[in-house]
Amino acid sequence: MNRIVKNRELLVLVILGVLIVVIGAISPNFLRPTTLINIVNSSLFLLLIAIGEMFVILTRGIDVSTGAMAGLAAVILGVSLNAGVPLSIAIVLTLLTGLAAGAVNAVGVTAFRVPPIIMTLGSLGVYRGLMLLITGGSWIETIPHSIKSVAAFRVAGVPALIWISLAIAVAVAFALKNLKQARYLYAVGDNEEGAFLLGIPVKATIFSAYCLSGLFAGAAAVVFVAQIGFVPMQTGSGQELKAIAAVVLGGVSLSGGVGNSMSAVVGALFLTAVDSMMIFLKVPGFWNNAVGGAILLAVVFIDYRIRCAVRDQQQRARAREMDLSTLEKNNPAAGSASVMGKAT
Amino acid sequence: MIQWRWLRSWEAVLVAALVIELLVLGAINPAFLSVENLLFSTSDFAHVILGALGLTLVVITAGIDISGVSIMGLASIVLGLSWVAGADIWVAVAIALAVGSLGGAFNGMLVANTDVNPLVLTLGSMFMFAGVATGLPGVLDLLGFKAYGAGGFAAYQYEGITGLPKEFTALAHGGVGWVPNPLIAVLLFALVLSLILHRTRFGRYLYLIGVNPNVARYSGVPVKSVIVAVYTLSAFGAAMAGVILTSYFTSARSDLGSEALLNIITAVVLGGTDILGGSGTVLGTLLAGLVLGFLRQGLLALGVSNDVIPIIVGGLLVGTVAMKLGLIAFNQRRGNRRAYQLEISETREGGGSPA
Repeated sequence: MNRIVKNRELLVLVILGVLIVVIGAISPNFLRPTTLINIVNSSLFLLLIAIGEMFVILTRGIDVSTGAMAGLAAVILGVSLNAGVPLSIAIVLTLLTGLAAGAVNAVGVTAFRVPPIIMTLGSLGVYRGLMLLITGGSWIETIPHSIKSVAAFRVAGVPALIWISLAIAVAVAFALKNLKQARYLYAVGDNEEGAFLLGIPVKATIFSAYCLSGLFAGAAAVVFVAQIGFVPMQTGSGQELKAIAAVVLGGVSLSGGVGNSMSAVVGALFLTAVDSMMIFLKVPGFWNNAVGGAILLAVVFIDYRIRCAVRDQQQRARAREMDLSTLEKNNPAAGSASVMGKAT
Repeated sequence: MIQWRWLRSWEAVLVAALVIELLVLGAINPAFLSVENLLFSTSDFAHVILGALGLTLVVITAGIDISGVSIMGLASIVLGLSWVAGADIWVAVAIALAVGSLGGAFNGMLVANTDVNPLVLTLGSMFMFAGVATGLPGVLDLLGFKAYGAGGFAAYQYEGITGLPKEFTALAHGGVGWVPNPLIAVLLFALVLSLILHRTRFGRYLYLIGVNPNVARYSGVPVKSVIVAVYTLSAFGAAMAGVILTSYFTSARSDLGSEALLNIITAVVLGGTDILGGSGTVLGTLLAGLVLGFLRQGLLALGVSNDVIPIIVGGLLVGTVAMKLGLIAFNQRRGNRRAYQLEISETREGGGSPA
């Protein structure tokens, strides 16, 4: 119990499990493997953006341009495929687009010291505008079918994209635990000046976080286009906020230095699963946002109360310990005094 | 002396930018530079300034409120539904403003009573308010209210509510002389907020909380109620913007204003308010809102496509902030060098005497 209370990913995962069982009891179809696989499949876009977002938030920054970067990358993918570029090169181009977009944010934040929310809000506008400029404002509807084969490819009945994305998430989690450079992210997010004084390359760390955010947005764009086979103008619109919601839901702290990629995975899965549950409960789709927002607020609020309760408990325990130790210190003295009193 | 000082302030820079902008746009397209045209084009972005004015106060307390854009839609749909449900149109306006303010109070309570980043909290409530605004018509059907039209309230969900009374829709299109009513609302709201911010104790509290909430609390500032009040005030501005948009577009829709977020925050930041809290003025936001709004109108009038405008606005936002930060760093460095040289020359002069 204590572990669940202290570990936010576990808390959210348990809530998700309970919800799945409850919905399954109401509508057994929900528990069919295809449904569950579909949920995971449709969460991939959000999941990848959220992992990218997590790098930035770990350093105590914020990136509100992730959705726009994904949109821009998706447009590049669509345009280059239509221009006859081979699939593999087009995918590399897409990833590079994301990386470049992230690098622009990184330069603004590190070299010009623009506050992250302003830098990325500005680039959000710029990337959305570029996206409309490149396409002339119309959807890219006819894309060679080669890209859809990427999404159709399955291993053991599960789309390969799921395997790849989960493998990436696990690899990132492993790297965050064991790689020195990845640990820098936590140090910088927890205490930037302290990290600087320790000799950690603060600017390079922040720089790479924004680049990674862009790179993952590019990867999300590949998944998105592969899954739906065309590029609407709204690609990624509003997703940056959902990604932040997912990451925070999974336990990454906006004050930096706390969380890992599993937080992003759990958060993204949760938000997507809730959307699907609403369908099974026959609640109209336009309630999704209201429910998602309410859940985010509830989880964040409950988490705050739990943290307060845990802190109080610890302080009370410490107070009791202090009492005991002072009693022990005083008691022998009191005892000897009384003995001495008797002796006289 | 005082006037010279004012000329060096950020507000003066904004006034200069506004004048230059109007002159340049007017030189390219003289038709743009008629006073009547300029004044009436403010109606297209009055809602952005209203949202930004309230947000300025929130940002001064080192908070942020991104749910304002959803409050606009919520206020609009509440107004429409109350009217359809039989309320007098002015009562409906009052209900809309009250519901919007309540939403703000809800935000304020969350921010005041937790240590969670306001960005996360208002992000959650932004989704929630937007969802409630789209879902509300259906709820009224479920609760058994009677609508006049066919299909119940749910029919209004996507089409919006039209056919609002003339005296209400005329509001945003009318004006006093050449000054349109939305602009009057903006100026009045700016005046009131400006008085609150710069002439009351409450206003000073906002700056103090923005600089250091702990110090504020230890010096006896009722931090929690001030925070609740400031988020409520901000939401009231957004609700007012929703009402004005409803009147301007002559229909109540749940998605009114949803595109304004980037522009609202840009106006606040361009107005010189520090996103980290502790400084900012209402006048700055008002001027920045006008600069941005006229820029947009002017570019549209020049035939620049709507797609390019976010690029320009985004570039402007980042560029201004980078320039301001660079200027601060430059001044600081210059000041440091000056102080250093002064120190050196003093120690040289007085080098012999202390010993």
